[in-house]
Amino acid sequence: MSDSKPSYNIPIGPIHPALKEPILFTFKINGEVVEDLDFAPGKVHRGIEWMGMRRNPVQIAHLCDRICGICGVSHTLAFCRAVEQIAEIEVPERAHYVRTIVAELERIQSHLLWAGVAAHELGFDTLFHLAWRVREDAMDLLELITGNRVNYGIVQVGGVRRDITEDQFPKVEKTLAAYEDITKKLLKLFLEDTSIKVRCRDTGLMTRKQALELCTVGPTARASGLEMDVRLDAPYAAYGDLDFTMVLPDQYAGEIRGDVYDRIVVRLLEVVQSMSIIRQCIDNMPPGVVMWEQKYAKILATCKKAEGEAFGRVEAPRGECFHFVRMNKSESPEAWKVKASTYSNQMSWLTMLKNEQIADIPIIVASIDPCMSCTDRVAVIGNGTSGILTKQDLHRLSVEKTRRIQGC
Amino acid sequence: MLTAVMAAVVGCIGIAVYGIVFGLFLQGIDRKFAARMQARVGPPIRQPFIDIGKLLCKDNVVPEGALGVVFNAAPLIALAASVTILLYLPVGSIMPLLGEWGDIVLIMYLLTVPALAMVAGGFASGSPYATVGSQREMVTMIAYEFPLAIAIIAIAWRLSVAGIADPFLISTIAQTSVWSIAGPFGWLGLLLLLLVLAWVTPAELSRVPCDTPEAETELAGGLLVEYSGRNLALFSLSAAVKTVAMATLAVVLFLPWNPSWYIAMAPTTAIVADALFFIIKVVLVVFFSVSVIRVMMARLRINHLVTLYWKYLGIVGLAGLVLIVLDAMLGMGVVA
Amino acid sequence: MSLLPAIPEVLRQFLKKPATNLFPAKYLPPSVTEFLQKAAAGEVAVHPPVETPVKFRGKITYDRDACIGCKLCTRVCPAHAIEFLPETKTVRIYVTQCIFCAQCNDACPVSCLHMSGEFMIATENRYSEEMIVE
Repeated sequence: MSDSKPSYNIPIGPIHPALKEPILFTFKINGEVVEDLDFAPGKVHRGIEWMGMRRNPVQIAHLCDRICGICGVSHTLAFCRAVEQIAEIEVPERAHYVRTIVAELERIQSHLLWAGVAAHELGFDTLFHLAWRVREDAMDLLELITGNRVNYGIVQVGGVRRDITEDQFPKVEKTLAAYEDITKKLLKLFLEDTSIKVRCRDTGLMTRKQALELCTVGPTARASGLEMDVRLDAPYAAYGDLDFTMVLPDQYAGEIRGDVYDRIVVRLLEVVQSMSIIRQCIDNMPPGVVMWEQKYAKILATCKKAEGEAFGRVEAPRGECFHFVRMNKSESPEAWKVKASTYSNQMSWLTMLKNEQIADIPIIVASIDPCMSCTDRVAVIGNGTSGILTKQDLHRLSVEKTRRIQGC
Repeated sequence: MLTAVMAAVVGCIGIAVYGIVFGLFLQGIDRKFAARMQARVGPPIRQPFIDIGKLLCKDNVVPEGALGVVFNAAPLIALAASVTILLYLPVGSIMPLLGEWGDIVLIMYLLTVPALAMVAGGFASGSPYATVGSQREMVTMIAYEFPLAIAIIAIAWRLSVAGIADPFLISTIAQTSVWSIAGPFGWLGLLLLLLVLAWVTPAELSRVPCDTPEAETELAGGLLVEYSGRNLALFSLSAAVKTVAMATLAVVLFLPWNPSWYIAMAPTTAIVADALFFIIKVVLVVFFSVSVIRVMMARLRINHLVTLYWKYLGIVGLAGLVLIVLDAMLGMGVVA
Repeated sequence: MSLLPAIPEVLRQFLKKPATNLFPAKYLPPSVTEFLQKAAAGEVAVHPPVETPVKFRGKITYDRDACIGCKLCTRVCPAHAIEFLPETKTVRIYVTQCIFCAQCNDACPVSCLHMSGEFMIATENRYSEEMIVE
């Protein structure tokens, strides 16, 4: 497209078929090419942290399930790990394994969900239906283990609320065996398809250096060749005992380009990896209880006595999920901060989308697997209008607050 | 004179009703086919009728920044042009109403009119999405015209070489099987051209992988984004009628056989039998060139679309043409 | 087909049965109320719902007589869906506010709270009789 053409603005969002959650993009377009862009999150702020600060940790655990509809276990796990560190609660060994199994099942269903969404963004509805259909098996298994398809409510401070019993093992094994065939089929349908290849190869490029500079996390970072995975870097739950390696796109394609195609590769290979992790967990599960303390009154009392601060890090399907908790001998935590993986990843949009075509906007936006409602932590509303706060504004507000607290 | 005018009016209304009803039925069938291939139950076959009924109940919104006259005229022109195409196309062994006044080249021109009307309507709606959609529709149109023209010209030319009078007339093409005229090389060429036409159909009808101008996930409906109510219903009807037209064109060019050619029948029985067989052929064409293609691949980017049609299908089409020319020059098949 | 591997897949699927969990009626009936009445009278067949697993967490049930009024359930309920009634020393559960985590079931020392398998509890009235368990 020539430079002589005038450029024009296209808004995408807050509500648009390409976006599964509200966020506002403004694209400066020249012909079909994106010249410049900006985005404004903050359209789905729900005040979860505010709610949390009015509840006790046992209640917050299930509030965490609802931060994200897809990675419910990851947020709860991160929060519980933070609280367990503060209150010095020792989680039973078996609970660690159950947590790992549920977290990996969640990864399988999340990545399959993403694969379906990505196919839909490309206009390939058959793969969308196929991916979501096979995702049902993982959802059914989660329902069997936890009791519900989403919002599992299984992880609690001090362990897990439900054990995986011997009689459930055959069902788990059956599902895993079915997934063995399905993943082979999915790998073929997604990665060998010419129409997907021409759309995704060399689209939305991000180099390893850019990925590092932008502090990206999870599959987005790994697709650019950045070796980072909380499960390996700072093992939690049972991951320290298990044998697995980081998934990088060159394991399939032989090279790392950091494009959308590589992100598909990483996510699909992680489904295969999760299956092996679940198998290992089931083989090595130690006997014993799954809860540090069966009596809720004692858990509540322990949490009330706790003092200190800690953070919990978990590798959610979308990347690192980070919870900071500070407790001060009271019913509810004094501070609770949630950083979802999309918060770290969203800035990479600016790099990826520049000089790409309009047609590729949906798939590139989707390629980091954004989850806006997990990310949005603040909405500035005053006198009925919303606004944007700059760094200077935030600094001024902090100073004012400190002065107010100090009473001067 | 009066009776002729009356007959023409009745014929036109009849054709319009036939096109709309059969077109919506074809869309219903296509949705059912696609659903089954995607392991879904799919909507009932009557769903397109329900959709049109719903749209007609809705408000017809004209956006503030739109050019009202063009915006409202475009859907009418699109539907009128689509119905006009059907006036030049046969139904089974019933020959076209206006067959004497136009030939297959006219049909090629008429096929572009609904698309042009959509482009005009898109530009007139004043939305950036619609503008991008309209630009893409124009590019798409330029891309698929060339392979389509090759396919049509090659067949008519082969008929003319065989010494058949008026080879460009629809009635001539519909009553002669080009397969029986061509020799072995010709058959190969015809197969290639059939492939080309099967791929031009989704582009002509703006279906996946060529729905780039509408691209739900990118442009939220593209050039139709601002349309609602009656106007959108008219565009949907135009698309339905165009489905009939494109499928009929493929049947006329490549699958012209009628049962009455082979089995002796009373004239009325022959018309009914031919019409039923024609419907089966049209449904088959829709299955292979609309339903299967749209479920088996992703949407193409506009530059890929141009490459596909100009380069790959252009080459396939030219190869088909060359084979047919060779066939005629080497004296295979029927040559006058 | 390595060019478009989906082609054999979709053609094979065309001959297979759809994977959809069916709605009660095959297609949307002209009148849902009429359809439901007919279904209740046994005049039309409905597709049965998908079975729920053993540990499924559906609508809550409450054994009022066994309750000792310890208020532990109100303390662990994340959604503040359980209200304590001081006069009778029992609780009232607002089902529309319940998030089905079943934490009260685990916490209850006399296990007077349970989750049933009932999940078809959509309603228009938050405070209808079925939506308040006491």
